[in-house]
Amino acid sequence: MILLSLERVGKRYPRGMGERTTLREVSLEVDSGEYVVVWGLRGSGRSTLLRIAAGIETPDEGVVRFAGRDLADHGIEILGEGIGYCQQTHPPGQGLRVVEQLTVTLLARGIAPARARTRAHAALERTEIAHCATLTTEELDSGDAVRVALARTLVAEPQLVVVDEPTSGVELADRDGILRLLRSLADEGIAVLASTGEATGLSGADRTLVLGDGQLRGSLVPKLAPVVALREAAGGRAGG
Amino acid sequence: MRSIVNWALLGLVIDRSSYAYELAQRFERTYGDALALSSVSHVYTAIGTLRDRGLIEELPGTREGRQPKPHYRATESGVAEYREWLGGQICEDRQRQRLFIQQLAALSRHPEAALEILDRYEQACLEEACLTPIAAAGKDGRERAGELVDRLMGEEGRLAVGPKLEWAQYARQQFQALADAQQRGR
Repeated sequence: MILLSLERVGKRYPRGMGERTTLREVSLEVDSGEYVVVWGLRGSGRSTLLRIAAGIETPDEGVVRFAGRDLADHGIEILGEGIGYCQQTHPPGQGLRVVEQLTVTLLARGIAPARARTRAHAALERTEIAHCATLTTEELDSGDAVRVALARTLVAEPQLVVVDEPTSGVELADRDGILRLLRSLADEGIAVLASTGEATGLSGADRTLVLGDGQLRGSLVPKLAPVVALREAAGGRAGG
Repeated sequence: MRSIVNWALLGLVIDRSSYAYELAQRFERTYGDALALSSVSHVYTAIGTLRDRGLIEELPGTREGRQPKPHYRATESGVAEYREWLGGQICEDRQRQRLFIQQLAALSRHPEAALEILDRYEQACLEEACLTPIAAAGKDGRERAGELVDRLMGEEGRLAVGPKLEWAQYARQQFQALADAQQRGR
């Protein structure tokens, strides 16, 4: 099932007296439970693409749909429900411990405190950082910080996780663990749309795409399951 | 010695001493579709060549018993020559890439065709990166050669794809500029 679709999306930003085109007629579809990674050089527009896909930014042209709904009409509510945008930076100085950061997110959505706490711990277990529950953001190493960010996203139980450069700045030893985690989310049915500037971040994906000069290249549409012809029933045609 | 199969067999003997039939099995497991033996007797011929050149030698005491299975191990000269040959392979890889670039540049009057080739080049890079398995959790250094090969191949594949994709972006810009210039000249 197509979960997310971008149709001929364009985005421009003002530059000096003119404009700079960041995305040009970009089309893309992401299936449920699919893990798609976009590779691009710095300044290629990969972060813009992800923010538009998540409904955080609006495109100048084209349409973005999530589960068939136009994000232009339902952006904020979908971002809260179906799409989880993985924000890797957490406002510093709040002094909140990791488990509290997750719990607060749920309390703000009206979840009862006991339930919120249970879900927060479950999300930390899922991202394999239960041992970080009582740490603050400043006490986390680079790999654990990404896992906490993913836990903050997953706690809302999204259908699609959008994550910008999940392995950037992560130590080599931790990088594959994060890629394995993203792969496992897709295997559980959660779609993942990620970006990377390093080819190592492409491993494990179902599809990888290149973003350059504002255009997306590669297999833009998920592979459909093969259509198998029905065997003809004895004495007549197969139903249909 | 020109036969790549002989060099590959020498590499297996360097990794671990083996008898002929075992070598044939290890060869198939290691190289799969990448390199093929014409038959098991191919291994016996190769062993003869490697012995004659002093690159491998019979392990003493392994020819005895009712069913002798002479094991072979690499000589010092075998290891040294293998290292030398492997160094040469690095240059060959570079030459193949340079040859591809020269052949692509031959399409400078047909930039659209070159851009289409670059699309396919990029696609092949993406597929390689996509298919590269994510490395398993860290080992304690006691892994077998097969596991080491998988880990080294996976990492080499992933790290090599990045610069290739960057180069494809650059080449695309160059050919796109040629295509635009052609368009303006019409």
